Amino acid sequence: MPKKLINGNEAFAFGALAAGLSFYAGYPITPSTDVYELLERDHEKYGVEFVHASSEISAVNMVMGASIAGARALTVTSGCGFSLMQEGLSYMAADFVPCVILNVMREGAGLGDIPRSQGDYDQMTKGGGNGDYHAVVLACSSLRDCMVMPALAWDLAEKYKNPVIVTYDSDIAHTRENVEILPPKRIDIDRLPYALSGNRGGRPKLVQNVNYHDPDFTQTLSRKYEEIEQHEQRWQAYETEDAEIVLVAYSICACVCRDVVRRARRKGLKVGLIVPVTLYPFPEKAFENLPACRKIIVVELSILRQMRRDVEYATRFRYQYDSVSSLSSCPTVSDILTLTEEVN
Amino acid sequence: MYTMLCPGCGHRTAMTLLDGLIARKGLKEKVVLALDVACCSLLIDEVEYDSVMCAHGRVLDVAKGFQIVRKDCCVISYMGDGAAYSIGIEEMIHAARRNDRAFAVVVNNGLYSMTGGQIAPTYVGDADPADAHAGFRVEQVLAPFPVRYLARAALTDAPNIDRASRYLEAALDGYLSGGGFHLVELLSPCPTNYKLNPKDMAEMINARMTVHYPLGEFVKEGARLSC
Repeated sequence: MPKKLINGNEAFAFGALAAGLSFYAGYPITPSTDVYELLERDHEKYGVEFVHASSEISAVNMVMGASIAGARALTVTSGCGFSLMQEGLSYMAADFVPCVILNVMREGAGLGDIPRSQGDYDQMTKGGGNGDYHAVVLACSSLRDCMVMPALAWDLAEKYKNPVIVTYDSDIAHTRENVEILPPKRIDIDRLPYALSGNRGGRPKLVQNVNYHDPDFTQTLSRKYEEIEQHEQRWQAYETEDAEIVLVAYSICACVCRDVVRRARRKGLKVGLIVPVTLYPFPEKAFENLPACRKIIVVELSILRQMRRDVEYATRFRYQYDSVSSLSSCPTVSDILTLTEEVN
Repeated sequence: MYTMLCPGCGHRTAMTLLDGLIARKGLKEKVVLALDVACCSLLIDEVEYDSVMCAHGRVLDVAKGFQIVRKDCCVISYMGDGAAYSIGIEEMIHAARRNDRAFAVVVNNGLYSMTGGQIAPTYVGDADPADAHAGFRVEQVLAPFPVRYLARAALTDAPNIDRASRYLEAALDGYLSGGGFHLVELLSPCPTNYKLNPKDMAEMINARMTVHYPLGEFVKEGARLSC
């Protein structure tokens, strides 16, 4: 496959095309806009329908319409734009509609600012919209992840009939690397038996979430999330077998921590790293076999230390914990390395 | 049919007209119904068409996304006045501005009915008949935009219901043949929330609502008629 110097957002766009993207609706917002611009420019070449939505609310609902028709449909956003999509996300989760949304995280609440941040962690993993639901959340921690994650996202979305959020921060979005470009793919809109297409006999297909006639609805809904939590925990582990200190980080923080592990090991420090790929379901299984672990350090761009609570719960509070966290200042290798040396 | 609705509800009349139209045109296998929430959504349990219940006011967006992917389907966007002119007015304006290929049916009773009859922006119950700003005239709001068909009828009595049927057919024919944005608004009785019997409700619409909501075709095949 050919390689090309591209940034994380462009890698995601090519990855989406390789996964069979055929519909895009969006509203531009930094730092996600490269995806919008690339698809706006090249959509005809790839046979993608591109709609300039009048708001993020419109965009997410157009994506819902395209998804229930059987397309692999996408919208991409950041910050407050993602907040505007929560109603649509909640509807699609309740309606069993597969879709993929990319949220490129930016700093702060409200308008905030455009630097790196991971402050949307709770909003993405714990709900964000109203009601009892989860979206599957996939985090990209390299440009290669950006390229391959869209295919996984749609596979999971269609398997569980549930929205999937892909996320990374603006550092991953704008880092440039030579990345192998996967070839674009077309998909058949009739491949999903549940896609609406007109009633050709029998009972009509309905997309709805008012299910008072269905006595099994509560169980069906519970089972969806139980199965996701049981089968779809994903993570990457680096040198954790004998690690006395285990770092936990995703997106740009994972990139920094991979370097920390390499340097720590050269100094003889037994440091390992767990990079969650699924933020929901949180990869609790990743922490089941850490025989030498004494301390866990969670590195994240959140002053509320949002992911740390999931880590503490996943490990049932049995280790010592520490955090390297900030609103939007990327932690340095030496900061984290110093902390690991202090532990020793 | 449509046993979930209150006695005298205009949705029953509107949906029955659409059912007849779809059957006459042989479109049942192609129809996908995009429904708004609240009273509209009650129809989903009884219709024979593939259907989606959309978020409040987002029917035209869901329908647009769907229509782009499945161009051969006949997508009917069916909503109340709250969805069309209140919470969803932005979507309505942009769909009209783009002249999206759409067949929209707006059932207007001037109230938020499912929640108990609260006053909507479309309410004209107490308005001075001379007040030109009472109500919400979609033909004025969408006047700058290149829509293909725009009409209003009242679901009150046989002549008016017959006219509603003809407008729906004209809109559907236009939508199927030429594309573009087609909207039929139906002034609709809600005896439950106006606390009137069906006969008085129909008279109220004919005597008072139509003062602020003139009936007729305002745009036909893209040409503006007198209104």
